[in-house]
Amino acid sequence: MELHILEHSLKVASIAKEGIQICTHGLIKLAFLPSKTRCKFFSLTETPEDYTIIVDEDGFKELPESEYLSVADATWLALNVVSGGGSATSSQPIGVTKIAKSVIAPLADHNISVFMLSTYQTDFILVRERDLPMVMHTLSSEFTLLRVVNGEAVAANSTGVTNGFVKPKLVPRPIIHPLSSPSNMFCVTSLDPDTLPSVATLLMDVMFYSGGAKEAAGQSEDSGHIRFFSFSLIEGYISLVMDEQTTRRFPNNVLFTSASGELWKMVRIGGQPLGFDECGIVAQISEPLATADIPAYYISTFKFDHALVPEENIQSVIGALRTNESTGQ
Amino acid sequence: MSSGYKPDILWSPHHADRYVICDTELSLYRIGPSGSSETKAGALQLSEETAATLLAINSDTPFMKCVAWYPKHEPECLLAVGHTNGRVVLTSLGQSHNSKSKDLAGKEFVPKHARQCNTLAWNPVDSNWLAAGLDKHRADFSVLIWDISSKFSPEAVPAEKVRLSGDADSGLLVTKPLYELGQNDACLSLCWLPRDHQKLLLAGMHRNLAIFDLRNTSQKTFVNTKAIQGVTVDPHFQDRVASYFEGQVAIWDLRKFEKPVFTLNEQPKPLTKVAWCPTRMGLLATLTRDSNIIRLYDMQHTPMPFGDEVEPTIMERGVQPCSESIISSFAWHPSAQNRMVVVSPSRVMNDFTLFERISLAWSSTTSLMWACGRHLYECAEDSGQAAEAEKDIATKMRERAQSRYGHDTVQVWRNHVLAGGDDPQLRSLWYTLHFMKQYTENVEQKQQSNKQSLIYSGIKNIVKSSSGTTETRRCWSGSDRQTDVPRFHSEERSLALQLCGWISQGPDTDVEPFLKSLEQEGEWERAAAVALFNLDIRRAIQILNKGASSEKGDLNLNVVAMALSGYTDEKNSLWREMCSSLRLQLKKPYLCIMFAFLTSEPGAYDGVLYESRVAVRDRVAFACMFLNDAQLPRYIDKLTNEMKEAGNLEGILLTGLTKDGVDLMESYVDRTGDVQTASFCMLKGSPGEVLKDPRVQCWIENYRNLLDAWRFWHKRAEFDIHRSKLDPSSKPLAQVFVSCNFCGKSISYSCSAMPHQGRGFSQYGVSGSPTKSKVTSCPGCRKPLPRCALCLMNMGTPVSSCPGTGKADEKADLTRDKKLAQFNNWFTWCHNCRHGGHAGHMLSWFRDHSECPVSACTCKCMQLDTTGNLVPSDSV
Repeated sequence: MELHILEHSLKVASIAKEGIQICTHGLIKLAFLPSKTRCKFFSLTETPEDYTIIVDEDGFKELPESEYLSVADATWLALNVVSGGGSATSSQPIGVTKIAKSVIAPLADHNISVFMLSTYQTDFILVRERDLPMVMHTLSSEFTLLRVVNGEAVAANSTGVTNGFVKPKLVPRPIIHPLSSPSNMFCVTSLDPDTLPSVATLLMDVMFYSGGAKEAAGQSEDSGHIRFFSFSLIEGYISLVMDEQTTRRFPNNVLFTSASGELWKMVRIGGQPLGFDECGIVAQISEPLATADIPAYYISTFKFDHALVPEENIQSVIGALRTNESTGQ
Repeated sequence: MSSGYKPDILWSPHHADRYVICDTELSLYRIGPSGSSETKAGALQLSEETAATLLAINSDTPFMKCVAWYPKHEPECLLAVGHTNGRVVLTSLGQSHNSKSKDLAGKEFVPKHARQCNTLAWNPVDSNWLAAGLDKHRADFSVLIWDISSKFSPEAVPAEKVRLSGDADSGLLVTKPLYELGQNDACLSLCWLPRDHQKLLLAGMHRNLAIFDLRNTSQKTFVNTKAIQGVTVDPHFQDRVASYFEGQVAIWDLRKFEKPVFTLNEQPKPLTKVAWCPTRMGLLATLTRDSNIIRLYDMQHTPMPFGDEVEPTIMERGVQPCSESIISSFAWHPSAQNRMVVVSPSRVMNDFTLFERISLAWSSTTSLMWACGRHLYECAEDSGQAAEAEKDIATKMRERAQSRYGHDTVQVWRNHVLAGGDDPQLRSLWYTLHFMKQYTENVEQKQQSNKQSLIYSGIKNIVKSSSGTTETRRCWSGSDRQTDVPRFHSEERSLALQLCGWISQGPDTDVEPFLKSLEQEGEWERAAAVALFNLDIRRAIQILNKGASSEKGDLNLNVVAMALSGYTDEKNSLWREMCSSLRLQLKKPYLCIMFAFLTSEPGAYDGVLYESRVAVRDRVAFACMFLNDAQLPRYIDKLTNEMKEAGNLEGILLTGLTKDGVDLMESYVDRTGDVQTASFCMLKGSPGEVLKDPRVQCWIENYRNLLDAWRFWHKRAEFDIHRSKLDPSSKPLAQVFVSCNFCGKSISYSCSAMPHQGRGFSQYGVSGSPTKSKVTSCPGCRKPLPRCALCLMNMGTPVSSCPGTGKADEKADLTRDKKLAQFNNWFTWCHNCRHGGHAGHMLSWFRDHSECPVSACTCKCMQLDTTGNLVPSDSV
């Protein structure tokens, strides 16, 4: 297996709902006019609380300074696991599940805080830049580490890593944070970048005007619905996460749908904002899922984490997580 | 490949006259000659000669991303179309009644997770296999190989999960690929490797190029690179692959797959298509976005594989098939040489043939060859016209070399006859050299060495050293009138006259022998002028009369003689007045100067001295007789400079073989390129400084190279011998030595240490005389010399088949046979297998054999010798 350390230096920011109009110009440029910026990594996730933006340094310049914009102080690097060989077994553990044991758990063991971003195409594991030597040290046994420089992957050796690191504590990971599962179902999809202009206005409507007349935020919360939308444009690839109702607003043949037409349900992690320093949260969720061989998407936002699991598995997921919760207590 | 909106073009693999343009629909065109009856009114003109007719349109697949044409003959117009959502649909064009294509057309291959299909490739042998390259998905494979003959969705996919969007007929839907490769990665391009059609697939994955072996899909060879787009194999060289990234093309050698063997110069704009020419080896065409130029890279002469230290020889050029419009895509014609069709974004098509670079080659014997495409043309000199037109200097030199020009060292003047005898400058040159040599020889006999050095330094220097000039006034011979024409004498002046050929050696200053020889050659006017200048007007008249009465004589000479006889020295006579004005109308320069002389004031002979049609030697001789010590050097200097500038060989008379002479020869060589004359002439120069002049050495070396290029090896050897006689410093040192295997000492060296045994190893064994010991062993250690592989005798034993040499004495006259016999005894061996023996034996062996004479040695010795099969083109 290869672990690519991508060259983007990422910022994680949050824009308050009421301040979104200040930032729309920059966000539209980042999302729909990629040729006008040098940004290669852009992700926007809307939750009921805020908008979470993950963007590289070039893209960050497009955002105005504002009191509504809060930025996590660290610079983040994205890691990407590539199956170096075609040797994957036919039963495919999807997404986070696949890397839970090999990446997420070891990082948690070493007290490294991670920030997850799953897309239609792949999973990105964001780590703080200052943690990189530790990350490389931790993962070098399992992976071929490659660092991407100017688009080409070159071997990265974890030199300078010696003793002095904390010994991993191999303890069971109980689930600490409260979980909730909204009732609406989600689609993880993508579209051809060439067709993006034709649906741009619709996407803008979904992104920025969702809290308006159509559905009152309070009402949707009451009925167990959650407002959740994610758009990312990373190295030319578009990935979308939206609920089933929203997909119906798109014309036929624009969104990529899987042959099996799968739908996903969400598990939301956290009662209080999680912050960036606590580690092991992703591992707490993903490890039980990996054990049960349930595919999952995982999207971290500024305040909470979100895991997506196949709708038919939601009960067993909740069951599995509850078990874990109880053993922890 | 195509971005869906810009039209791409695809040539039918089996019909050289059909192609498809695809943008949002597929349009099938047939290309044909524009004038033919087949072409209808709706035909599109593609070039001056060709037009295209639209045969069919298929607009069933509006979201197409890439297209691939079925490689087999039947069904003929079956296309695989890859869609933006990853589905691959088989469709046909204009062949709706074909039952076989009906089975297949409409079939759809659906990946588990939708994403863009980037590329398609049919397996060229197992044509049921279609490889599709898709964008990445986090949980799916990017390379799917579909079997188009599979009928139903395999049961492996749970029925309840197959929520297929819309299509009713699931029999035409295939969801289970034959192979899945490349997880969590994107595939931007792929192609099957022709070396192992069934098994190997090359794919441009996310950040690497990977070769998959379908017999074992867990094994792959891959290399990290950015250049992952448009992978394509050179059809003429199956290990050579091109791929690109943005503006840069990388060329790979699959046998050395670690890194590109080289990359082509980066283009400012991203590339959109890269294609090898199917009809021509190593020609790659590339197209960048929004460009109207197709760049071509010729790698024909790039060695594969080549070392890192060598710069690849790639010739780059651009072609502009249609003047203004930008090119959306292009396609090579599958069979017509260097032909392609380009299409613009507005679907304007253009058929054009690439003009091949022409390579030219001159042979050393003036014939010219050139190659264009697959044709080879020879250009031969038109022999009929060549006779009239002046021959090229190379041809002349070649002919002169064959006639042994320059080698007559006894009668030096004869060399101009060997040169063809039609060049007055060469004639003058060789006569000058002849007179110089003659004088030197006479002086040598008289032991007067003080002037010997002067003679070769030319009249310019001779005149400068002149002293003790005496002035005489002579009367006209045959007339009692006293003239007031002063004539000057000195030793140096008479030496100059000798060099000019007017008078012969010794104290005798009579010009009569010279006049006689001129009369013999029929140079009546010149003889008359010389006689006149010697103040013998009667003799001049006599010569002119003789000339008029001779065969082919000019009767006008009588008239001139009459005019001459009326000479009067009265200043204001009518005769003088008429002669000085009418002489200019005389065509013959010598007649003209005769009257110029008679009508000039003493000391003011410009009419004679600057008559350029008169030979330099005659003017100089005249100047030596009639110009005083002040005028003469000035005139000579002026004339010398004139000659040097013009590169006129007559000027050698003035400059001699000095540095001035080399300057003069330099401008002659610059003008004519005649290094042959220059070499021979300068070799005669005795002062060593002239021969050491780098220019002279350059001429000599160039002449030798020319002789070698003409394969005139014997001539060259002859020249070298000639040269070493005249220039002892040019004698080559011994270059080849034979050393003993046992003691390592040079055999020839130890031989030369014993003077009585001859000069070199080449004479070993030549002396068959029983009194002299044969040298069959090393003179140093007494171990035997190796044996000849053919006669099995120790080297040093003379060749048995030449009995004549046994009796001949070593010091006897070296006839040609004798020389050959000597060579037969030489040591000869192959540098590769180290077998050898007597040169004569080896030569005769290799006349009939190609392999080494030693049994069990398979060395092809003679073929390794690149010059061994060349035959000299001159005879000995």
